[in-house]
Amino acid sequence: MEVFLPIAQVFVNPVEILLLSAIVGVLSGLFGVGGGFLMTPFLIFLGVPPAYAVANEANNILATSVSGSTTHYLKNTLDYKMGFMIVIGGTIGTALGIYTFTYFKGIGKIDTVISLAYMYILAIIGTLMLVESLREIDRAKRNIVIKKKLHVHYWIHGLPLRMRFPKSKLYESIFTPILIGLLVGFIAAIMGIGGAFILVPAMIYIIKMPTRLVPGTSLFVTIFVSVIVTFLHSFNYGSIDLMLVVMLVIGSIIGVQLGQKLGEKIDSSGLRALLAILLLVVGIAIAYDTFFAEQAQTEISSISNSDLNFFSKFIKEFSNDMPFFYGLFSIMFAISLGVGAAFIRRFFSNFKKKMLMKS
Amino acid sequence: MLLSNVKIINKIKELKVVIIKTGIFMSLAAYWGVILVGTFITFN
Repeated sequence: MEVFLPIAQVFVNPVEILLLSAIVGVLSGLFGVGGGFLMTPFLIFLGVPPAYAVANEANNILATSVSGSTTHYLKNTLDYKMGFMIVIGGTIGTALGIYTFTYFKGIGKIDTVISLAYMYILAIIGTLMLVESLREIDRAKRNIVIKKKLHVHYWIHGLPLRMRFPKSKLYESIFTPILIGLLVGFIAAIMGIGGAFILVPAMIYIIKMPTRLVPGTSLFVTIFVSVIVTFLHSFNYGSIDLMLVVMLVIGSIIGVQLGQKLGEKIDSSGLRALLAILLLVVGIAIAYDTFFAEQAQTEISSISNSDLNFFSKFIKEFSNDMPFFYGLFSIMFAISLGVGAAFIRRFFSNFKKKMLMKS
Repeated sequence: MLLSNVKIINKIKELKVVIIKTGIFMSLAAYWGVILVGTFITFN
């Protein structure tokens, strides 16, 4: 069974997309990583053109980060002040990223740039993760405990314009979060990822935020960055396909919840090496796709408007006639799905607690 | 067990670890080699 995506102009199997986004969601929930850097390559392998894969995955990330951020808001584990500072940098970075995206799209090299960027990012993260997890396994076997320095100061801590962040109990230059946000926004705009793999270590090791505030604040930043990326992609290129977004959001929201539950029950540190190997495998698959299988181009199907079903026709006309409102609608749609998922989760969690209290 | 036997077993274990580590290092080096050479060829 295949479904035609009216904006991306390709046929996809909805079961495959739902299953893959659910699997990536489970991995995200289990390891606390964003799923963007896995899902976008998977979409490319399934035949979605890279420029469309990036834009739609950004919209999907918006929904999942809204869902996660609402949960953290309800638990009061969010530092808004720090989050807004990172968002300022993120906004500038996203604008620069979209400008770069437009440049490469103009010279017809955007697909190669996206593939190469993914290949290198996956190779770097995979290698670092593999080395670190193997080192950890080795240390655990030999019972070696390493003493870490309490405070390490980098040049970034000497920057001017310091500000108090009461929630994180920090006195930090505003340029530190802004510079980190700039990098994250730039990468998010080009690659359609949330950037948590940069944000989370940067918040812990460079900004030195308390670990309990890091996931919520990171998700809070991701909301703003992905809103800007989604809107700019939708308005500039009309590349958001709501049909694809619906499948991605449903799969990943279910997957993330399952992954988080699974993470509470099993120790995932030993599985980190396996995730690293998965990243390296995806990286080499992209390398093969880019270097050796260039001739086998994706078949872009052209279907006339009259052959489309009502929903596809509506999406296509809405996107073409009102790109501004279509972009806004995509954002609102993802936000409402994310908030809805968070409240459903809270309802079930409270219900479970009540049942346990009764019994 | 004889002391010499224990020593031999430990040596074998150490050798196994060395072989695994070398294997991982070689695989990563080959991986990066493919990526870098591929990029170089693509841009030429």
